Amino acid sequence: MTRRDQWLLWLFLAPTLLLMGVFLYYPMIGTVWESLHQSSFISPDPEFVGAQIYSRVLDDPDFGTILANSLVWTVGVVALQNVLGFAAAMLLNQGLPMQGVLRALVLMPFILPGVVTAILWRFMYDPQLGLVNSLMIRTGLVEDSAAWLADPGTAMAAVIFVAVWKGFPFSMLIYLAALQNVDESQLEAATLDGAGPVRKLFDVVLPAIRHVVLVNIVLTLILTFNYFDIVWVLTRGGPQDSTHIFPTKIYETGFGQFQFGEAATYGVMSILVLAVLVALYVIVERGTSRRRPEA
Amino acid sequence: MTHTRRTRAAIVAGQILLAAFVLLPFFWMFSVSLKPPSEPFAIPARLWPEDPTLSNYVTAFRPEFRTYFLNSLIVSAASVTICVTLALLAAYAFSRGALIALTALMGMVVLAQMFPHSAIIIPIYKMMRSADLLDTKIALIIAYVSVTLPVAIWMLRGFLVKLPVALEEAAAIDGAHPLRLFWEIVVPLARPGIIATAVYVLIVTWQEFLFALSFTSSKAERTLPVGLNDFIGQYGIRYGELMASSVMVSAPVIAVFFFLQRYFVAGLTAGAVKG
Repeated sequence: MTRRDQWLLWLFLAPTLLLMGVFLYYPMIGTVWESLHQSSFISPDPEFVGAQIYSRVLDDPDFGTILANSLVWTVGVVALQNVLGFAAAMLLNQGLPMQGVLRALVLMPFILPGVVTAILWRFMYDPQLGLVNSLMIRTGLVEDSAAWLADPGTAMAAVIFVAVWKGFPFSMLIYLAALQNVDESQLEAATLDGAGPVRKLFDVVLPAIRHVVLVNIVLTLILTFNYFDIVWVLTRGGPQDSTHIFPTKIYETGFGQFQFGEAATYGVMSILVLAVLVALYVIVERGTSRRRPEA
Repeated sequence: MTHTRRTRAAIVAGQILLAAFVLLPFFWMFSVSLKPPSEPFAIPARLWPEDPTLSNYVTAFRPEFRTYFLNSLIVSAASVTICVTLALLAAYAFSRGALIALTALMGMVVLAQMFPHSAIIIPIYKMMRSADLLDTKIALIIAYVSVTLPVAIWMLRGFLVKLPVALEEAAAIDGAHPLRLFWEIVVPLARPGIIATAVYVLIVTWQEFLFALSFTSSKAERTLPVGLNDFIGQYGIRYGELMASSVMVSAPVIAVFFFLQRYFVAGLTAGAVKG
């Protein structure tokens, strides 16, 4: 584009800037504003209350539960999803027949709508009719059918499992693309040096895709932390709040009880927690890469 | 890569296990959707119905379902068209302009894709309420275009920066109007990127649940994910119908994905891998 066409450039950008300004950046600031104002269903006019709602939310034992659940949920899903995604990428990158078909089939959970996924797995977990119990009893893993989603001790694990099932194909996709950039000649050289598959993995493959692993983990961290549909449809945050995470709590408080101030406060807190999580991960990652310089 | 017989067998076994892990729930969903209501699926369940029938599909395709389906179709089609058009224009500006302000704005685009929907939904809800747009498809379309724009711009920009500028420069020297140049040279060349982005927006909007649940209240305006969620309460025990509905909700996106997955996979991975 020439200098003369500069106006055109801004014309092209105008609708996007307008929409993003009004419906992404303004609401971001609006949420902070909401968190400082009290309103309710009975008295809908917001009134400035300063940090009052924050101190109320932070004093509420619910907040600790939500925070702990969110951390378990996020770390669990991200770790399992990336390990499984990487393993699947390795398995489907060996040049064996049927590889292309398998890659496409394995991506299917990623396309399956979230609400469908949740309904399907509610059924899979059903104590009487579900396939999970039926398979576990037949293979002798459990003796009696269990209500995985109704027991506060197992609900979180059951929900994490579903999210990993749906999410790992996305990680696999990114890792598969990254594996295409691993230098074949370096792998061959390592083989000639007598390196086994494990050493090749840690000394050649992982250093070569290190950057992608970082991007992938940060990406899945953000997506997982903000997950709503699967958790809501599977458990509504229950039983006994054992699967309540920030997004389900915000929805319940905001649209179930119409306490916008509380919901917005949880929203602001969730952004802060997410920012800390991402920053922590990036710092730790940087730290380990400095200790172990790339070959 | 070459493998010894034993590692080859181990890899194939791993692949079979992976395929089973992924496909078993799909198979189960499909199988139960074909079971007549008379056939029990309690433990020990038969994996495939003795007497497969489409009767669950006929029952599940009730008037409400048709309304939800049509609503989803309208909302997704409008969101895909508007979002991809706006994102293409913006991505073109971002990939061809050389102003420092643009770099800062692109940073704001990347930052915006991290905004949690649950954290920005209340102010958006209030705006829609003031504009009297609650419980309309327009509210959903506006929200969907806004939240999918950042990733769409990012995907398309990654695509456009790789296109050779020489063609555009030659056409510009020949005196082609910049708008004609954009329409006749850039858009056709960017086709694979446009398709990939459209598939992404479709996948996101077809399944979007939080905004649809919060913004719509009447059966006339609800989309499929919310409608399906309502069915759990209403027809909870009738799993055959629920699974038939689920198959009908998923089939369109899965079909589109299989036709266009080449484009989608290339478009999605380009940015993340290149960084």
